[in-house]
Amino acid sequence: MSEVRRDRPALRDPHWARWAIFVGGIGFLILFVVLPVVTVGAEALRKGLPAYLAALSESDTQAAIRMTLTVAAIAVPLNCIFGVAAAWALGKFEFRGKAAVLSLIDLPFSISPVISGMVFLLLFGLQGWFGPWLREHHLKIVFALPGLVLATMFVTLPFVARELIPLMQEQGTEEEEAARMLGAGGWRIFFSITLPNIKWALLYGVLLCNARAMGEFGAVSVVSGHIRGLTNTLPLQVDILYNEYNMVAAFATASLLAGLALVTLIAKSFLEWRYADQLALTRR
Amino acid sequence: MSIEVKNVSKSFGAWHALKGVSLNVRDGELLALLGPSGSGKTTLLRMIAGLDHPDAGQVLIDGVDLSKQALRDRRVGFVFQHYSLFRHMSVFENVAFGLRVRPRHQRPSDDEIKRRVEELLNLVQLDQLASRFPAQLSGGQRQRVALARALAIEPKVLLLDEPFGALDARVRKELRRWMRQLHEEINVTSVFVTHDQEEALELADRIAIMNVGQIEQIASPAEAYDRPATQFVSEFLGFANRLPCRVERGVARIGDFTLATELDDYAGEAVAYVRPHEIGLSHLNGSNIGALAVIDSIVALGPNARVDLAYGDQRIEALIDRERLAELGLIVGQSCAISITRAHIFKAA
Repeated sequence: MSEVRRDRPALRDPHWARWAIFVGGIGFLILFVVLPVVTVGAEALRKGLPAYLAALSESDTQAAIRMTLTVAAIAVPLNCIFGVAAAWALGKFEFRGKAAVLSLIDLPFSISPVISGMVFLLLFGLQGWFGPWLREHHLKIVFALPGLVLATMFVTLPFVARELIPLMQEQGTEEEEAARMLGAGGWRIFFSITLPNIKWALLYGVLLCNARAMGEFGAVSVVSGHIRGLTNTLPLQVDILYNEYNMVAAFATASLLAGLALVTLIAKSFLEWRYADQLALTRR
Repeated sequence: MSIEVKNVSKSFGAWHALKGVSLNVRDGELLALLGPSGSGKTTLLRMIAGLDHPDAGQVLIDGVDLSKQALRDRRVGFVFQHYSLFRHMSVFENVAFGLRVRPRHQRPSDDEIKRRVEELLNLVQLDQLASRFPAQLSGGQRQRVALARALAIEPKVLLLDEPFGALDARVRKELRRWMRQLHEEINVTSVFVTHDQEEALELADRIAIMNVGQIEQIASPAEAYDRPATQFVSEFLGFANRLPCRVERGVARIGDFTLATELDDYAGEAVAYVRPHEIGLSHLNGSNIGALAVIDSIVALGPNARVDLAYGDQRIEALIDRERLAELGLIVGQSCAISITRAHIFKAA
């Protein structure tokens, strides 16, 4: 594409219109994005840095941080593998029922997370379908780490796959076929051809998936049971602290989540900036 | 290495892409698969490559059944229509890929790979661009990288799908000539698919003309043009006037003309195909052979002129040397005598 021409009289709006749109847009951003983030920070630090640090080093909060990181560390890689496999199958092959599978992948997006949590309760809870069998074998899923991981995985299932499917469809199978004709085997083709072609979209999908996995509230809330220091994740901990009117601790914990979002954003921007030339090249 | 296609059929759902196609490609030959889109030519090429599997029939390369051979032992070079270069790899790495993916005991050393790739890039005249990425190359350059990449595995046969399809006319012509030279240099048995008859006529040793999943004729370019085997070939290769006629006792009647045919045992409706240059024009008051036609228009085409004639309710196109036309002094609106020097006559379908 050619460089954007700046001076296009026909496209030039009157001054007042440009200003109105500019101010309106910025104002909206400030009201709905900047202000809430600033509030979180301000509330967290209202009683000073020592109070903030004390709130964070509280043992239940520490446990919640560990739980959130553990859940994400299990759920995100699994979803990453599933997403790549699903996108590979859906993007590169034609088969009967493809549309059905596609909408099935979207299901977690369209269901309320609370219901997703309820489903797992119904399946694995004490009164659930597999409840008696699980109890016999002393397996605990609901109100324990496995339940949190399952609920998180369900809710974040579409992120990686959704990011990759359109890209893989657009790229087609010709490069893979070319590699095959040159004598490459299946794994070699995947790691040398397919994966490098999707790495940016994959990374982006993983970042989004991770942000959602750490921030998920609804589904996790149902299967967690809110056992302090045991099955609470960060968002649940924020909720509990807030309901106990422990404002500083609640906002301090919330600031961790907000910080995580910022880190995700910065990581994404950095990668885009650092590899801009490669991105431009591979996208043609 | 020869290629032998034996009675290959392939369907995609209800569509019969190939209907029992047989084809022999001789060692060192450059063969064109020519046909309109949907004629099955690309499907046939993919069968030969082993990218698709026939529903019935066999493909033998050098006498060995493809389906009984591992992919990496087949050594079939394939150039895709849109080149399919690996977009995240440099030109050098693209060409080196086929060597790098060999199993360890067959893989050349890094120095050897470097030497071979440089040799190939030199062959396709791209030594200066080894570190570029595909997106930084022109269409013609990409095409040559694709060719070098396919040649890197020292293929027994080279297959090209519409090799010049995505290039503009001038580059296409240059590359065509270059490719013919390259073929003579490396002499690997090659098959290419094209819908462009000019390309097929100029480049190929032999042409297989395809239509709706079947091969209509396999012949040298000159033979296919001079002696088309079927109506389809007459219509598809170059332009021919299509004149309805009647055949009786081995003689065809087109209006006032009579022509000898090979349809000895046939009596009934038929179609005669006459190429524009096979129609002779002469002055009315000259000899009185031929029939009367009226000149509708004259279009100068370089050294020749296309003369559009009205012959009864038929339109006939003739091609004549412009000097000869000037000698005859024929102009638009005039009547003239026409003769047919040659025609290909087929039973009416």
